[in-house]
Amino acid sequence: MLKVTDLEAGYGGSQVLHALSLHVGDGETVVVLGPNGHGKSTLLRAISGLIRPSAGRVEFNGVDLTRLPTEQIVGSGVVHIPQGDLPFPEMTVLENLLVGAYRPGAWSERAERIEKVFHLFPALAERKRQLARSLSGGERRMLALGRGLMSKARLLMIDEPSLGLAPLVTEQVYETIDEIKRSGLAILLVDENAEHVAGLADRMYLLEAGVLVREGAAADLLRDEALLAAYLG
Amino acid sequence: MIEANAPRQGQALPRSAGDRPRLRPAARPWAEPSRLGIGIVAVAMLILPWALMLVDGGNYVTHLIITFFVWGIVAQCWNLIMGVSGVYSFGQLALFQVGAFTTGVLSFSVGVSPWVSIWVAPIAAVAAALIIGLPTLRLRGIYVVLLTLAFHELLRNWITTGPQWISGGGYGLARVPRLGFDRLLGPQYERVFYYYTGLVLFGVATYAIWRVLNSPIGLAFRALRDSEDYAISRGVDPFRFKLFLFAFSAFFTGLAGGFSAHYNGLASTSLFDFGVMINLLVMIVLGGWGTFAGPIFGTAILTFLTELLRAFDLYRILALGVAMAVIAVAAPEGLVPVLTRAFHSLFGVLFEADEPPAT
Amino acid sequence: MEIPNRLVQALYSGVLNGSVYGLMAIGLTLIWGSLRMLNLAHGALYIAGAYIAYGVLGGLGLPVPVTFALAVGGAALVGLFIQLILINPILEKPGRDSAALIATLAASIIVQSTILLIFGGQTKQLPPVVDGGFKVGTTLISYQGLVVIGAAVVCLLLMTIFLRASRLGLAIRAISQNMDAAKLMGIPIVPAFVVVMVISAALAGLAGVLLGSILFFTPSGGFTPMLMAMVVTIFGGLGSVGGTIWAAYIIGLMESFLAVYVGPSWALPGIFLFMIAMLVIRPNGLLGLGEVRRL
Repeated sequence: MLKVTDLEAGYGGSQVLHALSLHVGDGETVVVLGPNGHGKSTLLRAISGLIRPSAGRVEFNGVDLTRLPTEQIVGSGVVHIPQGDLPFPEMTVLENLLVGAYRPGAWSERAERIEKVFHLFPALAERKRQLARSLSGGERRMLALGRGLMSKARLLMIDEPSLGLAPLVTEQVYETIDEIKRSGLAILLVDENAEHVAGLADRMYLLEAGVLVREGAAADLLRDEALLAAYLG
Repeated sequence: MIEANAPRQGQALPRSAGDRPRLRPAARPWAEPSRLGIGIVAVAMLILPWALMLVDGGNYVTHLIITFFVWGIVAQCWNLIMGVSGVYSFGQLALFQVGAFTTGVLSFSVGVSPWVSIWVAPIAAVAAALIIGLPTLRLRGIYVVLLTLAFHELLRNWITTGPQWISGGGYGLARVPRLGFDRLLGPQYERVFYYYTGLVLFGVATYAIWRVLNSPIGLAFRALRDSEDYAISRGVDPFRFKLFLFAFSAFFTGLAGGFSAHYNGLASTSLFDFGVMINLLVMIVLGGWGTFAGPIFGTAILTFLTELLRAFDLYRILALGVAMAVIAVAAPEGLVPVLTRAFHSLFGVLFEADEPPAT
Repeated sequence: MEIPNRLVQALYSGVLNGSVYGLMAIGLTLIWGSLRMLNLAHGALYIAGAYIAYGVLGGLGLPVPVTFALAVGGAALVGLFIQLILINPILEKPGRDSAALIATLAASIIVQSTILLIFGGQTKQLPPVVDGGFKVGTTLISYQGLVVIGAAVVCLLLMTIFLRASRLGLAIRAISQNMDAAKLMGIPIVPAFVVVMVISAALAGLAGVLLGSILFFTPSGGFTPMLMAMVVTIFGGLGSVGGTIWAAYIIGLMESFLAVYVGPSWALPGIFLFMIAMLVIRPNGLLGLGEVRRL
């Protein structure tokens, strides 16, 4: 589905990603693990168009996304849920979700999609008229996830969903992601800690200093003792 | 980060004949312009007014040059604040008027000798700058725009509707005492002395600004402009720097205002007009926003261009607007950097290329 | 019962001014919120509305409401040009903040001097839609004044509804609250900017047309209203539409109360001093979103 080839990207003068290649198949859940500051967020931003790659190619279902403006990338079904996302603070939960359905295709279906999201996140349903800035950290994260689902996403790219959340809430967030996975959506998730994603991932990559150093089926990588030590806890 | 290198004398950058030294916009700290170049220009400038007196209409050219001196100072000062430090202040003209009217009131209405009152002008301007600056400079850019515009309006209002001894009936003070040069060699040489006074003021101001730009303070200013957050994290306190800068440029602006009042013999409220501010802004933008030589260049062009186009006054402002628009879109850095780069790329192959101007 | 004349006068002028300030300030706050830019051409757009109406009336002699509509449309067109020619090209460039200042300033000069060339510098006035008025005590309340207030209020309400209830309005609000997130929702940013500018120009033009039938205007007459609109925008909180509307009326009333009770030449200075005080004490504005880091 998503094919990234030799991607290079950075900020200003410094290059962060070096000749990075990965792929995500239909319905797959792929996790990219890496320490902080090694380029995880940059990777997602380069794919979704928030920053422009300096070299390389991003292809989605055969369509070249590499230098398209973000709105078109989103339109083709690649939805990026950024790190620590503060949703639109002055809008209600309901409005936040509606913005997610901005694209014409999704807009006409917004009523049903909202139903689905509320089904998945009952806490949000209760607070639908509340302003986003009054939500707790965990609720905001749910809102961000929910918003991502409002568009006709085919691939969901999630950046460190549990960043800054309390353990109990973290559990819930990952459970929700699991449900999303079970609904058949492809997911590209970047995270720092392997603990929670162990159950989710089909395949995993390791990202260090902007380079993918390992790749393989999740089950294989997780059996590696050294890896477990480095990336758990 | 600041290396204690001795400046390299006799750099390979060639000078075309007979121009004033165009300092590279980002002269290295402690860089020195060629002594010879400055010497030649200085001599030329000293002789010029006498030479012009021999020419028909030369008197008028001298007047233009004096005008260039006055506005050149103001333009450089404004550039120091807006272009170099990134503070969007629109109060420069108001500070100029503070200078002009202070000395005007003191010398005309109160009767103080102009040679004394002219020094009160910059002090008053600095005081005004501090008054505006203290509340304003702590705030973010857009607020500065508004507050300085407000200050401009307020001052204009106050002076124009003030009592007779300030406002002169709304148009300003006419018959401001002149500097008494006519008593020296006779009235026909009066202008020459104004020329020299103007030259000295311009020279001192330009030199002071050049020193500031190329000192650690100047580097700090440019750091502030380029990335305020980073500069703060490196220990640059924006507020004090901006305040200093604001007061510094107010000093020379006020002085220019005072000199202008005595030279023209009037402190005019029409100088509050938006058109004047636009003129000034174009001088900075056209020449090179944030560079050293830019405002000088821009003022020169504009002063002489204004004369040429005097017949088309209505269209002049329109043309200025179009010029500004074109610059904003096509060459936001102004002409000097563009020309300098063109110069470098044309001749860089032939001569030792210095690092490109990094304004 | 004795009619408190000064109070009536102050209230009437205050509401009148406030309505017009509201129209202008909404445009500014929208542009600020989404483009993060101060539109120095706003005053010129305001006065362009008045002059276009004047020109159309004089030249074509169409019925007044049609003329006013054309004027608003004309102002919107001017805004469109400004956006397409001057703003869009510099959006991606570094140093775009100062470039935007200069570009909008340039636009303002171009518009104003064009108006000066076409219409000359003498003061003009537009004929009112309805003539006459009635007196409350010593205050003359003209029907035209009521029309202006009415039209402004209707427009302000429409804008608020548009922003809250429509897909496009939602998108504009999203952009102003979190541009990156808005992009990630697939909202096309540049077209949204254009829409914002056009709306804002239309509102400014409308304000100009409305006030032009009550006050005299000159080519440079847009400067002071724009300044007041900026004060209102900041007072209401940059980017907050609701706050701006409140602020508009508060400032309008404050101005007129100062003018009536203290003296007309104290109105502007008083407002500015108040604003300085407010910025020092409470920089976030009345109901604002808080200080924005850029510009």
